[in-house]
Amino acid sequence: MKVRVIGIPVQDQDRALKFYTEILGFVKKHDVPVGGKNRWLTVVAREEQEGTEVLLEPSPDNFEPAKTYQKALFDAGIPYTQFDVDDVQQEYERLAALGVEFSMAPTAMGTVKIAVFNDTCGNNIQIVQML
Amino acid sequence: MNYYQQEVMRIKALCYPNDKQLEAVIGIRHYMDKNFDADINLDFLSDIRFTSKFHLLRLFKRYYGITPKQYLTIRRIEESKRCLKNGMSVSQTCYTVGFETPSSFSTLFKKKVGICPVRFQKEQFLQSPSRSV
Repeated sequence: MKVRVIGIPVQDQDRALKFYTEILGFVKKHDVPVGGKNRWLTVVAREEQEGTEVLLEPSPDNFEPAKTYQKALFDAGIPYTQFDVDDVQQEYERLAALGVEFSMAPTAMGTVKIAVFNDTCGNNIQIVQML
Repeated sequence: MNYYQQEVMRIKALCYPNDKQLEAVIGIRHYMDKNFDADINLDFLSDIRFTSKFHLLRLFKRYYGITPKQYLTIRRIEESKRCLKNGMSVSQTCYTVGFETPSSFSTLFKKKVGICPVRFQKEQFLQSPSRSV
C-alpha cells in the first residue's frame, strides 16, 4: 500500500488550479474530465514531480456534507492540511506580497514554526518548518 | 483570535514551557544536519550539550518523536537519495553520507525506501525529464 494522492476539497477547480500553481508554485500533473464540469485534477511539488499528488477535488460542489465540514473547519481557523517549507518566514513574506491572506503569522511552537493562510477555495492551509 | 490560534497557544504553553530544553534539542538536530557524514553517537552529542546521554535521549525523543540515531538515519537516507539521483555510485554514496559499509547501507536503504539503492538509481534515471517522450 502506498500514499500516491491526498485530496483537498475546493469550491472551484479553475480557481484552485490557478492558486496552487501560480501562487503556491505547484505543477499540474493530471487533468481528466470525469463528467459534468468535474475533473480529476492533481498537482505536485515542483521539486518532487514523481511524489505524492494533491487532488483538487470538487466535493463541496457535489456533496452537501463536504461543504458543511469544509466551512466548519474554515470558520474555526483549522487547517485542512499542511505543506512543508524550508523557511516559513520567507514563504510568508513571498505569499503575503502576492496578496495571500494569513490568519496566523509565523509562530514558533516547540520544534516547528507554522503559519496559516487562506487558499481562496474554502480552506485554511498550514505551512510548516522544522526548527 | 480564532479557535485554532487559541489551541496552538494552549498546546504551546502545555507542551513547550522549557526554552532551554528546546534550545538543546534544536541545537542537536542542527548539528546532525550539518555533520550527518561524521561519526556521531549519543556520547558525543551529550558532551556537546554538557548533559547526560540518557537525559538527551529522553528530551530528543520527547520533542521530535524519534531518537537522535533514528533522525540521523533519516537525514543520511535523504542525502543518499540526492547523491544517487545525481549519478554517484552506491559505494561512494555510502561513504559520502557516513555509513560504514556498502552492504549495511544497502540493507538499511532497502528497509527505509522499499527498494535497493541500485534499483532506486535506475528508476530515477528512467523518470528523468530528459528521457520522457
